[in-house]
Amino acid sequence: MAMTYRSHSLSLRALLVLAVVSTAGACKPKSSTPADRAEIVIGATLPLTGAEARIGGFYKEGYELAFDEVTKQGGLDVGGKKRPVKLLLNDDTSNQATAVSLADRLINSDKVDLLLGTYSTSLVEAQTTVAEQNKMPYVNGGGAASAIYKRGYKYIFGTLSPVELLGATLMTWIDEQQHAGKLPKPSKIALLWENTSHGKDFRKGVSDYAAKSGGGYEISVDESFELNGKDFSALLGKVKAAGTDLFLADAHLPDFITLQRQYTDAGLCHKVVSYGARGSEKQAIETLGKDNVSYVLSGVWWSPQLADTIPLAKKFVESFKAKYGRPPEWYQALGYETARALFIAIQQAGSTEREAVRAKLATFKIDSLLPGGTLEFPADKGGGAQNAFVVQQNMPDGTSPIIYPKEVAKAAGVAPSPRCTP
Amino acid sequence: MSRLVDMIVSAVLLAGLYATMAYGLGLIYGVLRVVNLAHGGVIMVGAYLGWYLHEQLGVDPYLTIPVVLVVSFALGVVMYRLLVRRLPRGAAGGPASLLLLFGVWLVLRNIVYVVFTGNDQAIRTSYSSRSIGVLGSHVSVNRLVVLGIAVVIAVCMHFLLRKTLLGRAIRAVAQNADSCTLVGVDVERIYTLTFGIGTALAGVAGVLLATIFSFNPSSGSAELLKAFVVVVLGGLGSVYGVALAALIVATAEVFAILILPSYLTTAVGFLLLVLVLVLRPGGLFGVRVLS
Repeated sequence: MAMTYRSHSLSLRALLVLAVVSTAGACKPKSSTPADRAEIVIGATLPLTGAEARIGGFYKEGYELAFDEVTKQGGLDVGGKKRPVKLLLNDDTSNQATAVSLADRLINSDKVDLLLGTYSTSLVEAQTTVAEQNKMPYVNGGGAASAIYKRGYKYIFGTLSPVELLGATLMTWIDEQQHAGKLPKPSKIALLWENTSHGKDFRKGVSDYAAKSGGGYEISVDESFELNGKDFSALLGKVKAAGTDLFLADAHLPDFITLQRQYTDAGLCHKVVSYGARGSEKQAIETLGKDNVSYVLSGVWWSPQLADTIPLAKKFVESFKAKYGRPPEWYQALGYETARALFIAIQQAGSTEREAVRAKLATFKIDSLLPGGTLEFPADKGGGAQNAFVVQQNMPDGTSPIIYPKEVAKAAGVAPSPRCTP
Repeated sequence: MSRLVDMIVSAVLLAGLYATMAYGLGLIYGVLRVVNLAHGGVIMVGAYLGWYLHEQLGVDPYLTIPVVLVVSFALGVVMYRLLVRRLPRGAAGGPASLLLLFGVWLVLRNIVYVVFTGNDQAIRTSYSSRSIGVLGSHVSVNRLVVLGIAVVIAVCMHFLLRKTLLGRAIRAVAQNADSCTLVGVDVERIYTLTFGIGTALAGVAGVLLATIFSFNPSSGSAELLKAFVVVVLGGLGSVYGVALAALIVATAEVFAILILPSYLTTAVGFLLLVLVLVLRPGGLFGVRVLS
């Protein structure tokens, strides 16, 4: 009997809560539509918690700096009228399902004007489908896999050049060293890649280059690994057994840290070591110790060292240092540039109307802080930027100078790695 | 030959880690029949506690183990007294305990998010990347220490359960709690202590993991799953069974790379789990219970 009473009591309480929630929902004013608002609302999600939290925080810094600058200028000049811009940012918790549902909420419930993207290929890949279905222009600086831009989508634009190009750029520098007699011919490659579109692109970039090298390279180990893996000892055992010269891996920051730690533990040593875009991050150097990341090669989308040759990069570095008191890494630069590209598209379109902004993004070519100094989203590349990569190498003194391409290089690259010289 | 040695060494070292992660889960399930889903959360908390003591006080991570043991034990006792003991015993408590302890895990995770942010952390010491030669293979000093601690824990647990009055009481309660009550054993006290010991072991596993891998507040789920596989494979009620099961899982995973792509090797453990559940539900070394 007591049980029955308790059940009834619980049901009543649940009904009461439901009633209060429903009433609150009914009383809540409806989200204003973009046309009603004076301010422009840009929606975005970033991984502010979870595995990619640190990088998500970096992108947030880039976004916020771009929004601050517009606010200081009194807003965006849209059709001859200054309109304030607001960032509506949600935490997608590094989770695909959350990223998708939040994008849907931003578009259909919060009625944002336009969208900025999240970080990491897997999240961007999932989120872009929602943007495309809703015909919402979506500019991202966090998704680099070519798969994102090969689906024939019309509303997706990305400032990150494809990872395939990253693999090929690293191989170009390596090839120069081989031609200079610093690396054996043929060089045996251990090619490890995360089992994602990002990793597959990297693999393709390296494999295609090796295939066209006329016997200059032989891929002896070609293995993928699970994203956010824990134990790589078996995989590294395979690498060790293959006796390779070059260790080329594609990994996100957490996997790079784990993998490189176990690589060092296993006493492995290669003439060239690279983890794709990872290696020069402050966190990696702090976590692993600079000795353990010395001579690691990384191909990145941007470097603060470009400030010496690209005026916009210089301006960005100065603004970033003034706001945050430290130099930026490429993550913040890409976040900033992504937001800036969207702002310019709005201004040039003279409207926040989705089709007008999309058309402008698809056709404009603007000055940029990225390598090459300009930015465009070519339609024949699915809206993905094609700027060149810069190659950096970690030095024993803790610096990571650009070593390639020559026009922007700050130091000569070192090969073979002295860590591996008996 | 050298590769074979490398693989065997890797498997043994990995087994040490797996066994450490599984002891606590196995003990709690064996005695209380509760699948402690908060186990992964406590592993994560143990990692943070070890890291915090190391970073703030400069204590060697392995010397933080006694502190982590005490704090985790206290956490386990509080969890049991406040929450777990209110659950219905037996099959009826199954779903409720899963939900409750999953909730505890979420709370722990979010507290750590708030306090330490979601950034990846790692313990780095002067010997973190040091390795020594064993039979021509490079062996990480950290991993050797972890293996050593795993063996010490196994021996201590065996001694505790077999040679002490408390251990006998724990085993007796695991076999028949009602009969224990009749002969004067304070079953609630045994449950409390068992939950505390199991949680303390999870905390220690966290410190050991933190010396090898980086971690963040989301860590723990992969460890929980792996521990679950080891416990089911090893069967309940046998410390050495758990250790041997850990060795089997680790060996299967390490050697799987000879025939499988790397990203599929972690699935081997789960394949073993399914096979054991189908063919030998009591585990490879479990005690057959007659109805």
